[in-house]
Amino acid sequence: MKLRKCLKHAFDMVVHSKLRSWLTILGIVIGVASVIAIMSIGSGMQEQMSSQLGQLGGDLLTLTAGASRGSRTFGMGGGDRFVFGGGGATAMEEEPVLDRSDVQALKSIPDLALIETEISGQVNVSYLGKAGKVSLTGVDPAVWFRITTLSIAEGRMLDSADQNVIVVGGRLSSQYFGKPLGINQMLTINGNVFRVVGVLDDQSTSIYMPISMAYQVLDDKSVGVYDKITLKVRDEEQLDATINKTENKLRMVRHVTEKTQDFSISSSKQMQQTRSEMMSSMNAFLVAIAAVSLIVGAVGIANTMFTSVLEKTKEIGIMKAVGARNKDIMLIFLLNAVLIGLVGGLLGIAFGIILSASLPALMGEVGMIRGGTLVTLDSIMLAISVSVIIGMLAGLIPAYQASKLRPVDALRYE
Amino acid sequence: MSLPARGLKVKNMASGRGRNQEVILKLGDVWKVYQMGEVKVPALRGVSVEIRRGDFVAIIGASGSGKSTMMNLIGCLDVPTKGSIFLKSKDISKMSESDLSSLRGKTIGFIFQQYNLIPSLSAFENVMLPLEFLEYDDSAAAKKAREILLLLGLGDKMSHRPTQLSGGQQQRVSIARSMVSDPEIILADEPTGALDSVTGKELMNILTKLWKEEGKTIIMVTHDLNLAKYAHTRIELKDGRIINVSQKPLAKILPG
Ligand SMILES: Nc1ncnc2c1ncn2[C@@H]1O[C@H](COP(=O)(O)OP(=O)(O)O)[C@@H](O)[C@H]1O
Ligand SMILES: [Mg+2]
Repeated sequence: MKLRKCLKHAFDMVVHSKLRSWLTILGIVIGVASVIAIMSIGSGMQEQMSSQLGQLGGDLLTLTAGASRGSRTFGMGGGDRFVFGGGGATAMEEEPVLDRSDVQALKSIPDLALIETEISGQVNVSYLGKAGKVSLTGVDPAVWFRITTLSIAEGRMLDSADQNVIVVGGRLSSQYFGKPLGINQMLTINGNVFRVVGVLDDQSTSIYMPISMAYQVLDDKSVGVYDKITLKVRDEEQLDATINKTENKLRMVRHVTEKTQDFSISSSKQMQQTRSEMMSSMNAFLVAIAAVSLIVGAVGIANTMFTSVLEKTKEIGIMKAVGARNKDIMLIFLLNAVLIGLVGGLLGIAFGIILSASLPALMGEVGMIRGGTLVTLDSIMLAISVSVIIGMLAGLIPAYQASKLRPVDALRYE
Repeated sequence: MSLPARGLKVKNMASGRGRNQEVILKLGDVWKVYQMGEVKVPALRGVSVEIRRGDFVAIIGASGSGKSTMMNLIGCLDVPTKGSIFLKSKDISKMSESDLSSLRGKTIGFIFQQYNLIPSLSAFENVMLPLEFLEYDDSAAAKKAREILLLLGLGDKMSHRPTQLSGGQQQRVSIARSMVSDPEIILADEPTGALDSVTGKELMNILTKLWKEEGKTIIMVTHDLNLAKYAHTRIELKDGRIINVSQKPLAKILPG
């Protein structure tokens, strides 16, 4: 029998046992949809990560005080700490800090192009009667705009002459207060009034202001002490060497050894690498879970096929009596299974796309999917081929069994 | 028709309407023993027979005498426990399953007591089926199936499912299916068994016509002696053995 005819008979079989076919297809749909959705989360994370990687620039180092602050947050966007050599905790009476002397030391390192000091904290804000608590970062207005990876959507960045002005995150400007907080609007921060000069091109609710003003707003901070120092290296190729030099220099001025080191330097590049490794292993884990549901779907197909062969035993006998060869029967049943897999796969992809599109809305701003989800062509191709292969594998034994039925026995079957 | 075994020999001059035709089917000391758990059930015990091209053979005998078993062997649906079967001088016991299927599809058309149509297919699609397995060209196959259905008075029933047809109509569809690929042999196992006498008679007329006008070799199993009258050669089975072979003068069946 020609392949086209076998396909037609296989298709008829799917159509004629509607309920059972659909239930089996449903099993595959669930499996494929979950694989697609989970892969879309992974791809979304990867996409966000690579855009961040480009954004953050590989030439930036972050210097913080404290010995062993590991990676604070697993997800995206949160704490960006990757610790170098931050091993032994030092028993010190005082919390280690970064201050002007560190900045002086850094300035003497020729490999560093820019040095930017920051403090940050939570502040109460209010605007047009609505209030809230958001994070505030005090930045060095003379350097910040040259070192930051953030970009302006509206207005301008901070300038070295700025005083009572702020730059706000995109979401704070558009949604946070219900009414838009635009350029030249006044925002009350911890009781002081600031004018918005710029809106960032992001989805954050952060506020940036000159560090000198931030010392006044954040009253638990003492002047000359910094939470974070961002460094731009002169030559990205020399990143590791520069990190080494910087660490050595700082150890000297801070009178610590490698073991008692009370500061840490992280590089966005290395951080991204680690995160990417972590991400792909987690992705693999999630996909493995989703794959289990595909296996369940495959078992469903096999089960349906066995039932179908049993039910169609007499028909197989008839077909053999009118000239069907073993391979014709085999092909018809195999194609039946493949069709179930394929239809399940296609519907699964459709549902998967819908699911992944609605995931961010369903789960809210969970760290993992903050970057949105992304259904890639790769995952679609993978889903189709996997479901076809699954159909084929699941149908193999039943189809073989069907093809091997002896015509007399098959005809006698009631 | 000749019967070498057990000294029974019948001159076969008349078969194929007087033409001296070649042997199309030959069974030599065929045994079929079914294994029912511990028990062995011998359904055929040393059957030897030759059937010539163009004959109309009725295999008769009581229920359980081994008629269907013999029919299945002749139709290559089953293999003998012992003995040889030659179909068109090919030893079918030496053929592969898929060659057997092809041979079956080309040479033999089956008519079953229970019609054995595929319920999910229309009358037309059922008739098309043998041609699909023979990989006929689509339009040629469709033309042929349509012609035959028209010939059998089923022109308006082509798109009907078997369940939407009467028993007689279903059996006519199954006849259409058995002859669509133009096989040399038509095997009918109790073809009228599930039909009333009027429809049964109609069916016998169709078979007779196939025999007379198309020159088909017809082998029919029946326990009804009235139906056996239509045949030219009668083979009587009892307990798995051939006990009698007789031939009617052709003039009695073939006027003119
Ligand atoms: N598949 C089978 N397994 C076991 N016994 C069988 C099988 N087919 C037929 N028989 C036995 O073989 C004998 C002949 O059966 P069958 O050829 O069907 O006779 P008939 O068609 O003349 O009624 C019977 O005793 C029947 O029970
Ligand atoms: Mg019988």
